[in-house]
Amino acid sequence: MSNTGESQDIDHATSAISPPDNKTRRYDRQLRLWAASGQSALESARILVLSASATSTAVLKNLVLPGIGSFTLLDPADATSADAGNNFFLNGQASVGRPRAVEAVPLLRELNDSVGGEAVVRNVEDVLSEEEGREWVRGFSLVVAHNLRKDTLERLAKMLWEDVSAPPLIVVRSAGFLAEFFIQFHEQCVSEPHTDETPPSLRITRPFPALREWAVGVDYDALDPTDHGHVPFAVILVRAVEDWKAEHGALPSTYAEKQAFKAVLRALKKKPDEENFDEAEAQAWRVWAGDAAPADVRKLFELSPLDPSTASSTQFTSTVPTDSEQQVEITPTTPNAPFHALLRTLARFADAHEGLLPLSGALPDMRTDTASYVRLQELFKDQARAEKEEFAALLREQHPDVASLVSADALDTFVKNAHHVRVLRGRRWGAWEETARGAGLATALQNQPREAATHLVLSAVATLLNDNPDGSTVTLDALKAEVHKLIGENAEVPQELEDAIGEVARAPTADLPNTAAFLGGLIAQEAIKMITKQYVPVNGYCVVDLVDSWTCVIGKDT
Amino acid sequence: MATEVLTNGDAQAADWPDRYYHVDQILDRPGPRTDPSFMAGDGVKDFLRSQCKILVIGAGGLGCEILANLALSGFKDIHVIDMDTIDISNLNRQFLFRPKDVGKPKAIVAAEFIMNRVPGVKVTPYYGKIQDKDDDYYMQFNLVICGLDSVEARRWINATLVNLVDPENPESLKPLIDGGTEGFKGQARVILPTITSCYECSLDMLNKPTAFPICTIANTPRLPEHCIEWASVLEWPRVFQDKKLDTDDPEHIGWLYKTALARAKEFKIEGVTWSLTQGVVKNIIPAIASTNAIIAASCCNEAFKIATSSAAYLNNYFMLIGTDGVYSYTFEHEKREDCPVCGGEALDISISRDWTVDRLIEMLIEKQDIQIKKPSLSTATKQIYFQAPPQLEELTRPNLEKKVSELVEDGDHITVTASSLPFNLTLRVKYV
Ligand SMILES: [Zn+2]
Repeated sequence: MSNTGESQDIDHATSAISPPDNKTRRYDRQLRLWAASGQSALESARILVLSASATSTAVLKNLVLPGIGSFTLLDPADATSADAGNNFFLNGQASVGRPRAVEAVPLLRELNDSVGGEAVVRNVEDVLSEEEGREWVRGFSLVVAHNLRKDTLERLAKMLWEDVSAPPLIVVRSAGFLAEFFIQFHEQCVSEPHTDETPPSLRITRPFPALREWAVGVDYDALDPTDHGHVPFAVILVRAVEDWKAEHGALPSTYAEKQAFKAVLRALKKKPDEENFDEAEAQAWRVWAGDAAPADVRKLFELSPLDPSTASSTQFTSTVPTDSEQQVEITPTTPNAPFHALLRTLARFADAHEGLLPLSGALPDMRTDTASYVRLQELFKDQARAEKEEFAALLREQHPDVASLVSADALDTFVKNAHHVRVLRGRRWGAWEETARGAGLATALQNQPREAATHLVLSAVATLLNDNPDGSTVTLDALKAEVHKLIGENAEVPQELEDAIGEVARAPTADLPNTAAFLGGLIAQEAIKMITKQYVPVNGYCVVDLVDSWTCVIGKDT
Repeated sequence: MATEVLTNGDAQAADWPDRYYHVDQILDRPGPRTDPSFMAGDGVKDFLRSQCKILVIGAGGLGCEILANLALSGFKDIHVIDMDTIDISNLNRQFLFRPKDVGKPKAIVAAEFIMNRVPGVKVTPYYGKIQDKDDDYYMQFNLVICGLDSVEARRWINATLVNLVDPENPESLKPLIDGGTEGFKGQARVILPTITSCYECSLDMLNKPTAFPICTIANTPRLPEHCIEWASVLEWPRVFQDKKLDTDDPEHIGWLYKTALARAKEFKIEGVTWSLTQGVVKNIIPAIASTNAIIAASCCNEAFKIATSSAAYLNNYFMLIGTDGVYSYTFEHEKREDCPVCGGEALDISISRDWTVDRLIEMLIEKQDIQIKKPSLSTATKQIYFQAPPQLEELTRPNLEKKVSELVEDGDHITVTASSLPFNLTLRVKYV
């Protein structure tokens, strides 16, 4: 095979290294998205799904495959011939006449041995009528309800809303090609949003001592041509900022100044192909963007945790400090206490560092030689470590009771993502209709006709199906009358509303296989985001029209 | 108690009353936006369930979902092509496969599963390459749905279906529905060959694959990826010469990992792991069940609407981003007049009179809207450079050093071919 003395035997070379275990291999493609922390969150999740419809089993399929802890499928009905035709997780006609939850569970469980699953053949109403049942429902990590009877849904949503520690509820409605879902949650603290936003600060305008020292020590004229082409862009920029400030006093701010600053960078080039200087010019935005905390993060500094005692309203409100100078104390029982303690510590840290957030420690690749890059990386890592320690000390000092609840990994993740963290405040399901009823909804219908129309008609059909689940009372006129109850008797009816009404009247009880599969994917994505606290979930109604193939989120604002 | 499984014979016989209770609500009456040509009732049901023949390309992440959706929607004659076998890393999303199926052909296992689960549906698998099949084979289908992760295979099927179109024969126009995903993002599109924008028209929308300059890999590594590339691109061929690197062989990956790790240590670079090694050398794209479900459902929904005319179909591109809320964008991607597959017009390129043939080839390889690997060049009268056969390559090799302007007049055409592409690209050269 080989005629050189360096030929190696693969077996020998790899004897010390073994491939990952089967579980890691099985989950490889998803671990690349949410890592071990996300996976372990999923594996601790217990999901309750109400109704064993085609849509519900489609949702569960997409949660069993990535490996949630366990699921419970609650449904009182026996499988019909229609169910056998549209639900992949039934055994065709063999399942007809048997409880559909019982039939579906084994077919879902066989997708992943490590997931637990049980069927509960009961009516949700009965479960919600007992305190024991309500407690049982509140014990899940997430509840999903598809086309649940309107009265029952209202009762369930209200119950889960009243307790700030109760699980989020995903409400799903569909009829034919039209559908929507809504996530009812109190507060979602996203520590790893994974959004492709501005990268974290490199302290270009506010260098830490070691970085500044390097930059001001660079003598471009003394460098040999190779080293000159290898000065990392971060160092070039820090130096250019120092020089500019020495000459002009302030950072470049006007268009002309920014152009002049870039010209300075270009003039540093000794050869046209020195890509490190091109990079510096391309990254010059970092100079005018500055290094202070982004505005969205600064806004979070003023956010108080939720006040569990404000449960009766449609939207939980922040706790209000008794003294305007004083912030509310965070205790271990505060909703999302660890996150709020971290957030408040972040505000303290920024205060103590003239607006800076702790350094993330991540360094983008840059055109330079290995030694310079590794040196720079070590400077950043050392500084990040020191700032993280300072941050951790602040946390322990300010929130001694809560600090012990924050794991080292959670602290690490928070600091690394400090530039991006998000807090979402949700609303009670149905609150939008209540507060916007009449003029508000009519305005929504004018502003976003097709989206609002779809939502309104799905609400209308749910009202009609409440008393007649077979769809026998769903007519064009009946739907229109229901919609008018929401938008006002005299509100204008745009063509989009006529279209949506016609579409729902055509197929009021149709759980189409493709719509079910589409929703199954969308809702599983959202469930994963809610559970892992990675990526950002929808806040509002996500409306779907599979005739014109679009989705849109509405009802975010009051 | 065993249930009888119908895998063949009269598909209609398996239809129990109310089987299509849900789908028939759509097929029994038009909606407000339904085209007047829609033949509600038995006519459309008979076409869908007894006549329509659909081809699914790919039985992987999207393919498994597509097959299940089509079967439940009422398509009874489904064909599926896939050249891959099942790997353990497929099991987090390819839900028709179980651990016992690892190593078996995807197309065959998927087809059997669907036929067992959905009675009366016939799924005909082909375990092999799409390139094995000829025009007659593709001609038999009413629709083609593509759930592939390979750009090359998509370009091939796209060009094949565009070439199949005979203006005299409306049956020759096969709608192509294409889906793709990456992490929480994905897209579905409807291509009507020669009428709408085709796959080739939108090549420039693809993300450019990350390529590390060879000099970085060899001399100034900074990232763990650079060390892994060094191990696979430079060290493997040096050490093992002609032995081909098999990225599915854990021993090969293990060697690369160890080699990359040693280099990283030497340069004090952190972060080389088995997972990263595998990710870099196999160019792994993250994939999850839920995103595949959304995109496959969108593809099948369009197939159902096209096959039945029960509602308007997508015109022509649906893009979904699920990382920050649910964001989607539905738009009409425009046909490119100079598309080498469906455009008919030559692609204008402006180059300097000093450019050598070699430089032109380099530019073609780099160009995002062309993406050609080993192009061969000729004019109507001359062979400029041919990659194969070896004799011809040797004969035309001296031309690589020559200036293009010595061989081609201003405004003349150059025909570009490549073995990976079933079409020719025509360039009109302009000197600047
Ligand atoms: Zn084209």
